[in-house]
Amino acid sequence: MKGKISIIIAAAVLLGVAAQFSGCAGSKQSAADKVYVKPGEYDTYYAFLSGGHSGGVFVYGMPSCRYITTIPVFTPEPAKGYGIDEESKAMLKGFSWGDAHHPGLSETDGDYDGRWLFINDMPNARIARIDLKDFTTREIFGPIPNLSAAHASPYPSPNTEYVFAASRFSMPVPTTKLAKIEDYAKDFNGIIAGVKVDPEGHMSLGFEILTPPFDWDKMDCGKAVSHGWAFFSCYNSEMAHDLLEANASQNEMDFVAAVDWRAAQKAVDDGLADQIGGAPVLDPRKVPGIIYLIPAPKSPHGVDVNPSGEYICANGKLQAEVSVFSFAKMTEAIAAKSFDGDKGGIPVLKFDEVLEAKIPVGLGPLHTVFDDKGYAYTSLFLDSQVAKWKVGAPWDVTDKIDVYYSIGHLTASEGDTRHPTGEYLVALDKLSKDRYLPVGPSHPEGAQLIDIRGEKMELLYDFPTYPEPHYGQLIRAEKLKPLKIYSLAENKNPWMIGTAEEARVERKGRRVDVYMLAVRTHFTPDNIQVSHGDSVYFHVTNLEQDQDITHGFGITFSSLDMQVEPGETKTIAWYAAKPGIQPFYCSNFCSALHQEMQGYVQVNPRGTPVASVQRPDAATVEEVAAILRR
Amino acid sequence: MGYLGGAFSRSERRLIVLAALVLLPVFFMPVLPIWQMKLWAPQYREGLTLTIYTNTIQGDLDKINTLNHYVGMKAITPNDFAEFTYLPQALTAFGICALLAAFFNRRWLAILGWVAFTGFAVVMFTDYARWLYDYGHNLDPRAAITLKAFTPPFIGYAKMANFKVLSLPGLGTILLGIAWSLGPLIFWLERRTAPRDASS
Repeated sequence: MKGKISIIIAAAVLLGVAAQFSGCAGSKQSAADKVYVKPGEYDTYYAFLSGGHSGGVFVYGMPSCRYITTIPVFTPEPAKGYGIDEESKAMLKGFSWGDAHHPGLSETDGDYDGRWLFINDMPNARIARIDLKDFTTREIFGPIPNLSAAHASPYPSPNTEYVFAASRFSMPVPTTKLAKIEDYAKDFNGIIAGVKVDPEGHMSLGFEILTPPFDWDKMDCGKAVSHGWAFFSCYNSEMAHDLLEANASQNEMDFVAAVDWRAAQKAVDDGLADQIGGAPVLDPRKVPGIIYLIPAPKSPHGVDVNPSGEYICANGKLQAEVSVFSFAKMTEAIAAKSFDGDKGGIPVLKFDEVLEAKIPVGLGPLHTVFDDKGYAYTSLFLDSQVAKWKVGAPWDVTDKIDVYYSIGHLTASEGDTRHPTGEYLVALDKLSKDRYLPVGPSHPEGAQLIDIRGEKMELLYDFPTYPEPHYGQLIRAEKLKPLKIYSLAENKNPWMIGTAEEARVERKGRRVDVYMLAVRTHFTPDNIQVSHGDSVYFHVTNLEQDQDITHGFGITFSSLDMQVEPGETKTIAWYAAKPGIQPFYCSNFCSALHQEMQGYVQVNPRGTPVASVQRPDAATVEEVAAILRR
Repeated sequence: MGYLGGAFSRSERRLIVLAALVLLPVFFMPVLPIWQMKLWAPQYREGLTLTIYTNTIQGDLDKINTLNHYVGMKAITPNDFAEFTYLPQALTAFGICALLAAFFNRRWLAILGWVAFTGFAVVMFTDYARWLYDYGHNLDPRAAITLKAFTPPFIGYAKMANFKVLSLPGLGTILLGIAWSLGPLIFWLERRTAPRDASS
């Protein structure tokens, strides 16, 4: 009897223990559960990852880490016909490459507002604006005069008043000025530029500041208490022009520049700038009060401002620490004129007077992002880790997690705004090595999704990306309301046609304009007469108003293809280089009769009479019109 | 004069006014639909709609027409329907007829109106069925996809090619039905109260 009771008790205890375990498992979702988004359901975040030297922006859904689309920006992209149709081709200004580094979402009051995404083309000193209504590049500003390689860019200010660009490679200013490389320290200059953004998003140059030939590296804008300031890190304060690897790594201290962009703009507006290379350039030797230097150890890389705007975090790169500077201390020192000399007319503040804390995060700290609970997350390139540390006393490192491998940037959910959401963090690695199925020597990059909701960081997912994301932005999905189609009623393109009766070919001299409509499943007109030597402009209007019915327009034996979305009109220019027949077709599978969506251009020998206006015959017009009756 | 020359009691007159009022939202422009059709396909999970009012047809006409042209179905456009030019007026006339019958308290007028309304309804339903038959049978022989002639469902559910179609009367038709059924109701009420009138 006693034995039986003890067995029962033991069983009950065991069951209780088991229940405890299952209770644990029940309350704690597995990593797989956390990234699983059911078929047909949406992710809660958009992730915008820069494409690096592939020139565009990749869009992912988080937490599933599903790749959704690519937004072509600085590089022609046949998949969307970008840079091939006349409008986007004009925007690229002849460039067929860009190195897209730092996506920056537009902000209102320091938080993402979901209007635009800015991104810089480092080598060609350009900044692009993507409209998030249609995820399409709508403006490319630059090359910005006097500026070579805009790496510290664009980082919109808290109300998207400005985007910025600072030169990574100093140059003679203006860049057309002849100079000798060995006179680098004397004849070369760095440039920090403020680019104004108007309420419609259009960019124009606000000001440029002439600096010593340091290599400006990374930046961030002040926010909240530090609103009105922008901070730029640099390496090569040694002003070396060869073997930078060693020669630019000698100084114990490089700098973080603090720019009062309102003062800089006022100086330009007051006429204190010199016009150089078509830009208003402010020389700090002549115009004081616009820029200051904070000494920062050992070639700092990322310089990141915390959500409250109180702290400026310089990531040591060659030093295993993040140096945290106090904005309040900085303004006090400036007010007290407590300077330690100047560099090229820029007052240098005293390191100890401005420093708030030093965080021993680990080896190779590059970038820092933030959560909503007062923690910062710093990427450690050499340690291949992310370090979590407390912003504020006791300023300690509380957690670390491995990533794979050699992390560069990291991005947290709305983690560079005034109100981070503190849910996810994406580690963007420079090497993936053995992490995915091997595909030969050219490797994809690696990325990890990390849950930062708890005390400890938790690795959720590991996924490859196409080369090469630098920075990223994670925005709550509900902040974006993209269009599903373009409204035909709002199509203001001068080449648009809306009916079969308007479809025609018009000839003026050697220019031929084809007013063409595309609708499932035909082009009208689809038989076109031109002459050898004509420049033919196909203006194609997609008359669909149904979601996802894109029509392509590709010409055989050419490099020409464009994609026309429902309700959109696009133009492609084709030169009739030789007599003969030239087919064209819809290159985007649109419907059951997609294969039949094709036509022919007949290129007649020079001198053959070709009607100045061609229209499809009446029966065709009637047949097409009957389908289009609306 | 007999039965036809008679008049209504107060409550019956009220019911006739009610019949006229019920007609109101139906004949005053496209407020309430008289018929609705919903079409689903694998790539149209959200469904496409056709909504018929007394004077027009609305909904995803463009999308439906673009799809229908594959099988050679004639484009559906409001302008094709002469019905839309007289349907609101006819319903208005029936409403006025009911009001007059109630106002002048003329049984013959009420009965005449109700009989005409009934006849009109039968004609219109037949007309609607003819349109449906016509759209499904009058297919362009040059169409890319050859389909066996068909008739979309007048009422209820049917599967047609890759589409599932649900066709139902709209709230307008339901109101018209209520207005119509007030006729027999009044007749029944009169029958019920007649012996009591005689005994008093």
